[in-house]
Amino acid sequence: MTGRNTLGILGKKLGMSQVFLDDGTCVPVTIVQAGPCPVMQVKMVNAAEHPEGHRKASINKGKKSGKHDRARAADGYYAVQVGFDERAARLCSKAELGHAKKSGLDSGLRFIREFRLDKAPTQVPGDSLTVSVFEGISHVDVTGTTKGRGWTGVIKRWNFATQDHTHGNSKVTRRAGGIGRQYNTSHGVPKGKKMGGQYGVEQVTIQKLEVVKTDAERNLLYIRGAVPGHANGYLVITPTVKNEREMSEKPGMAVSNAAAKAMIAKGR
Amino acid sequence: MNIMRQLELEHMKSSLPDFGAGDTVDVHYLIKEGEKERVQLFSGTVIAFHGHGISKTFKVRRIVAGEGVERTFALHSSRVADVTVKGRGIIRRAKLYYLREREGKKTRLTRNLGPKKWPRSGAGSGLSDTKASTDAASVE
Repeated sequence: MTGRNTLGILGKKLGMSQVFLDDGTCVPVTIVQAGPCPVMQVKMVNAAEHPEGHRKASINKGKKSGKHDRARAADGYYAVQVGFDERAARLCSKAELGHAKKSGLDSGLRFIREFRLDKAPTQVPGDSLTVSVFEGISHVDVTGTTKGRGWTGVIKRWNFATQDHTHGNSKVTRRAGGIGRQYNTSHGVPKGKKMGGQYGVEQVTIQKLEVVKTDAERNLLYIRGAVPGHANGYLVITPTVKNEREMSEKPGMAVSNAAAKAMIAKGR
Repeated sequence: MNIMRQLELEHMKSSLPDFGAGDTVDVHYLIKEGEKERVQLFSGTVIAFHGHGISKTFKVRRIVAGEGVERTFALHSSRVADVTVKGRGIIRRAKLYYLREREGKKTRLTRNLGPKKWPRSGAGSGLSDTKASTDAASVE
């Protein structure tokens, strides 16, 4: 997902709006339904590190439950697997239901992701991640799936320049132009040549987006600017990997953000 | 109600002055001079509303020293402290851009002296929506 191993949260883009700061500044925001995200599973380097009661994995293939447990195998890495957005139980596969059941849920979740960690996670299945994981965090990275644009020409997809509409040009204004070489044609078209094709529906991470406001009560995040994808699209939100050094070098920025936030918290 | 609409309503002004396109208004705009804040008046004719919800804006046109000046205000901005209506005009369209081509006496609109003919800032108001939301909340 992102470079740094840290906890984040899963969310859903609700849409865009704007808020006014007390000094009248109008801030464009994306409102995100962020969590709560039930912890579905924890991954440990050594099996022994698993919390008591989670050291067994069931292998009872349709037999009487609990009889055929085996010791849980080591995962080889630390991570927390969390889910978001309930899927009605009647739509869940049995595997999904079974997995959800282990963390005390009645039905499966639509969006399940892992957050890799450097240390053994303190969470156990059944816990829940909320927007409180972003306490004291001013900027986040948001990963989502961009809007699909279908088969797209090079002008839209790669920002190629259009050709002349006048000066004797006729009919060819949005084509890519030459793609090969005049001499040494044995090399053909260069690998990775930008051409038309499917554009959108790809995973994109936007880094260092300011958190304008958090609403712990309703699990909402107000993020400055746009995030990838359409409304109701799923997002993975993590504290930004852009270093804090960069921000501390521009103290004015951090101060103004803090001031803005204080204003919003006070005013509204 | 749509959740986005609901969240927007929370950030919108709960009551708005009653005015519409064609009205002559004074916009009380807060400006900062050093540490102090004071109210600046911008008087003119409302020629258009734009957008909806919290991003709704309105455009006020006036003539300053023979030159037309237009200013756009965000209706729900805390900077827009108040809008007072000086006179109402009878208009037949929502956007009065035709006033831009007019000079002198021709920029006058017919004054509406009688009772209100149609809901005024209904188009521009968050007021009715706010009421609806509180009603909905109480039902819940």
